[in-house]
Amino acid sequence: MGKYAILVDTTFCTGCNTCYYKCIQENRLLESAERGIVRTMVFTKDNGLYHHRCMHCEEPSCIDTCPSGAFNKTPEGIVLYDNQPCLGCKSCVIACPFNIPQMDTEKGNIVKCTMCYHRVSKGEQPACVEVCPTDALEFGAYEDITNKAKQLAADNNLNIYGLEENGGTSVIILTKEDPVAIGYPEVSKSVTKARGPKAVVGAAAVAALAYAGIKKYSDRRAEIEGKKDE
Amino acid sequence: MGEVKLKRRDLLKIGGATCLTALFTPLNNLVPFTNFAEAAESESKYEITKKIPQVCARACECDCAYNVVVGVDKTTGIERAITIEGRPEDPVSRGKYCIKALGFVDGMYNPDRLLVALKRTNPKRGVDEDPGWVTVSSDEALNEIIEKMKEHKREEMVFCSPGDPYSNRLCRSLGVRRSDQRTECFGTHYYLNSLMVTNPPNKYYSSTYTVTHSLWGFDYSNTKYMLWFGFDSFSKCGKAGILNHIAEGKRNGTKIVGFNPLRTPIADGMMDEWYPIKPGTDLAVALAMIKIMIDEKIYHEDFVKNYTDSAILIDADSKFHITDSDGKWMAWCTEHNRMEPIDSCDAPALDGGPFTVTVDGKEVQAIPVLQLLQENVKDCTPEWAAEISDVPADVISRVTRELAEAAPNVCLPNLKRDPAGPNYSNSWRLMHAINTLHALTGSFDHDGGVLFLHGVKIPWLEDVDPLAKPYPPLPEKSPDFRHEFPVTEEIYQKKDFSAPGHYGMIGYGLYKGNDTKVVVFKGPHRGLAALIQPQMTEKALEKMDLVWDWDLYPDDIVYWCDYVLPAPHQYEEGKLDIRQYYPKYPSLVGGEPVQEPPGDCIGWGAIAKKIGLAMAPEYWTTDGSSDPEKVIEGNMNDAALKALGVAENTKEFLTEQDGIWVDKKPYENYKTLREIGYGRPNGRVRLYIDEFAKVSHEPLPKWAERWTAAEGEYKFSLLITRAAWHMHADPNFINNRALNDLSEKNYIDCVWISPNAAQELGLNEGDPVIVETNPKQMKELPRPVKSKVHITDRIARDDCILLFHGIGHRSKWLQHGRWGYRDGDLIPQKYPEVSKPHDPTGMGWVEDVYVKVAKA
Repeated sequence: MGKYAILVDTTFCTGCNTCYYKCIQENRLLESAERGIVRTMVFTKDNGLYHHRCMHCEEPSCIDTCPSGAFNKTPEGIVLYDNQPCLGCKSCVIACPFNIPQMDTEKGNIVKCTMCYHRVSKGEQPACVEVCPTDALEFGAYEDITNKAKQLAADNNLNIYGLEENGGTSVIILTKEDPVAIGYPEVSKSVTKARGPKAVVGAAAVAALAYAGIKKYSDRRAEIEGKKDE
Repeated sequence: MGEVKLKRRDLLKIGGATCLTALFTPLNNLVPFTNFAEAAESESKYEITKKIPQVCARACECDCAYNVVVGVDKTTGIERAITIEGRPEDPVSRGKYCIKALGFVDGMYNPDRLLVALKRTNPKRGVDEDPGWVTVSSDEALNEIIEKMKEHKREEMVFCSPGDPYSNRLCRSLGVRRSDQRTECFGTHYYLNSLMVTNPPNKYYSSTYTVTHSLWGFDYSNTKYMLWFGFDSFSKCGKAGILNHIAEGKRNGTKIVGFNPLRTPIADGMMDEWYPIKPGTDLAVALAMIKIMIDEKIYHEDFVKNYTDSAILIDADSKFHITDSDGKWMAWCTEHNRMEPIDSCDAPALDGGPFTVTVDGKEVQAIPVLQLLQENVKDCTPEWAAEISDVPADVISRVTRELAEAAPNVCLPNLKRDPAGPNYSNSWRLMHAINTLHALTGSFDHDGGVLFLHGVKIPWLEDVDPLAKPYPPLPEKSPDFRHEFPVTEEIYQKKDFSAPGHYGMIGYGLYKGNDTKVVVFKGPHRGLAALIQPQMTEKALEKMDLVWDWDLYPDDIVYWCDYVLPAPHQYEEGKLDIRQYYPKYPSLVGGEPVQEPPGDCIGWGAIAKKIGLAMAPEYWTTDGSSDPEKVIEGNMNDAALKALGVAENTKEFLTEQDGIWVDKKPYENYKTLREIGYGRPNGRVRLYIDEFAKVSHEPLPKWAERWTAAEGEYKFSLLITRAAWHMHADPNFINNRALNDLSEKNYIDCVWISPNAAQELGLNEGDPVIVETNPKQMKELPRPVKSKVHITDRIARDDCILLFHGIGHRSKWLQHGRWGYRDGDLIPQKYPEVSKPHDPTGMGWVEDVYVKVAKA
């Protein structure tokens, strides 16, 4: 499999949020969604539509900041999160320049998009893309998607968001208005490094957090094991 | 927070100490990391066990066909409906579906679903009363209901129900009036379309209950030019069966010009031009367009002459179409200088006159319809329309010429809560004008324009199970005052008993009257939120002898019910559906139940048969007897499939053809119009409506001021729309916490106001506000709405505010449904005296309301 990307052409998006609910069902997330924790949502803003979803960065800040290797980038360009090594330190929450990872405190895990890795790895489209009533979302090879985005932007005088932000991402968003004016975070074109705890107190703090996180994880695991034995 | 300053040596110390501590501290229960991809959701969370075809027959007018995916949730191990999968072969949905279809899936398992019949033990009704519910079997409840209904005369009962085949047969066999709740959505469309084009009953008039009873859809995919008079409401933002076609058209180069005081996301992306029109003035723009087309003779002459009544002569005295002794329409022949039947006239005059002709031995003055139309709009210049509407005159002129240039591949789509729908008392005039523009552009029954349903029909119940004797007459008076509106009463009584009723007046009728003692609500699952000024209905229901409801949820209407019968979920019923909203090809799609209805749910057909057998058995048995063994089967679907040669029965259709049949033949322009229009067999569009002339209303589109006006603090025109994920206040959606969260994050629970208007009122984002109707409009039982404001320039004018429909249940039995305000509380009930002078159909009103906004 090659590298993939998603094109979000907001000029065809109506804000219907069918992608929001399809994601919930595809990934069995209703219980979290009832508490407001979801992987994607479209917000109707004054100047356009804001798609809040993981951008699957080229050089993800979540990976860079995570002290326990809970994030990984697959060869397909998809940034995945694994709950098992996660310490719950929320470094990723702080580090992400797009404000994507959310900590589900009840379940004790980070919630973010997997680009439906389970579907993509079988040659299928992500669920949100498949369901979009207007085909405002498109999934394909990274080169094809970025080329198409550039062409559409040139033809229709659109803004491109995601192509260069944070050093480039695998989600390319086209907007009529300035994306930052719509509500997309203003993100540097260069990679955002260590916005999380690493930047504050360096390695020692990370180590301390790591210890605290592992200890918490260990305790919680003991608690779960204890419950199982009951 | 103070800045942390650490020296390099300190950092090393801390780091080293932490690591050492970590090393020597026992960390129990750690397990080795598994393969990353495995741990990180590389597998589906469910295993599919089956896919069941269904048709979305209640979420909107699209009726998308799709599969309900059933699978085993790997976390719980439970098999259940998981999600939806599209059916690309369906001409309407083409593999798409919307958030509401997905919401229905989880709605099936909503813990608040009604699964048993409820019976009231506390006779006092009302929201503050505990009904003292006891559960009874549905059968027992129905037996008791029947016994109580038998104690009442037919004049004392009313069914608040859509005109589905079973409701129709039940009401007609009992001789009971039916008041249809669909009025507020599309009564205006239905009656204007019936009176101008579809002329029911005709060979395509189908018993399939679809939401607007329209026999056409719009060819969004292939149209070159579209005009949207408020068509892009927020609710349209979710209609997948329409949107997938609009998007295709847009990618193919369709030009879209819209008039809407709101700037919607569809306008952001898909409209080429958008003009923030003054609310309620669309008619002025449409009339100016008609004037330009006629004055500049840029209308589609072939269509106008040969497929409309434009050349038909109108008697200047009687105001009706002139016919010969066979009832054939007459025209003035410019070649022979005499009146001739239109079908044999070679050179019919479209203008001129009055011509002196002889009718029934009497000399009369006669004028062609198009000439009368031109006279009606003679003062409607673009400048005049611009003054009224705030749409620039040059835009009106240019857009009209562009529309004519692109004709006949053009359309002005109008469905449900667009301004041509229920919005204003003048909506009927706008609908009339829009249909007139469709006629002037020749886009009716044309590829790329307005597509007519053709080549498919589902028979009526009476067709498959004929009556043993004629139905009894209906009571002379109707609690919703339909009898006072001859235009709609005649269609209802003589042509189409399924026609929408005057639901906007039922509350007033019940509140003011004392004749009605029994009220039946056939859900479906929206309760009082489907009504305008429900406070009047609530008060009225307190005095009834018997109120019962058939519902999916114990929504707020049950506070006033004596019995509530549990209904199956829409995915628990079988279906057969015509592809009415993109009828390019004759097509049928079927749906089968996803699961057996749980609990003690009972279908509406079973209820109707049981009541019918008990109270009017001669209409419910095959031989007119009272023998329950001979009860009618009512299998309309099998009959439809067999008649079309598609399948022997529904089972065969579903198993051998996957429940879908499409006859992909090319669309034959103007063919269906000939078969169903006025003046059959050479059917035409009738621009001039005799029925309106009979009740002293304008038979052709003409300007009229808006019914209501801004006054003092009551200066905001009330606009209403709906979130893409709501349908009325169906608890399938508003009792879903995830959808409520989505709503709150998109300000659906707020009153939307423009930045200027907010500043003038001293309001800041999120401030609590009270919205109150002008007391001159709502004289009794006012109920102001409390909410908070969302300040947005999507409200493009300072003279209006926006509220969202589809929220605001008050039932304590819905754990997440008691949320948001109810827009209907602000809209006064209508009554004949206020409605009749303005509206011959009595269907428009909903947004003809001015409100005050004040900080709470």
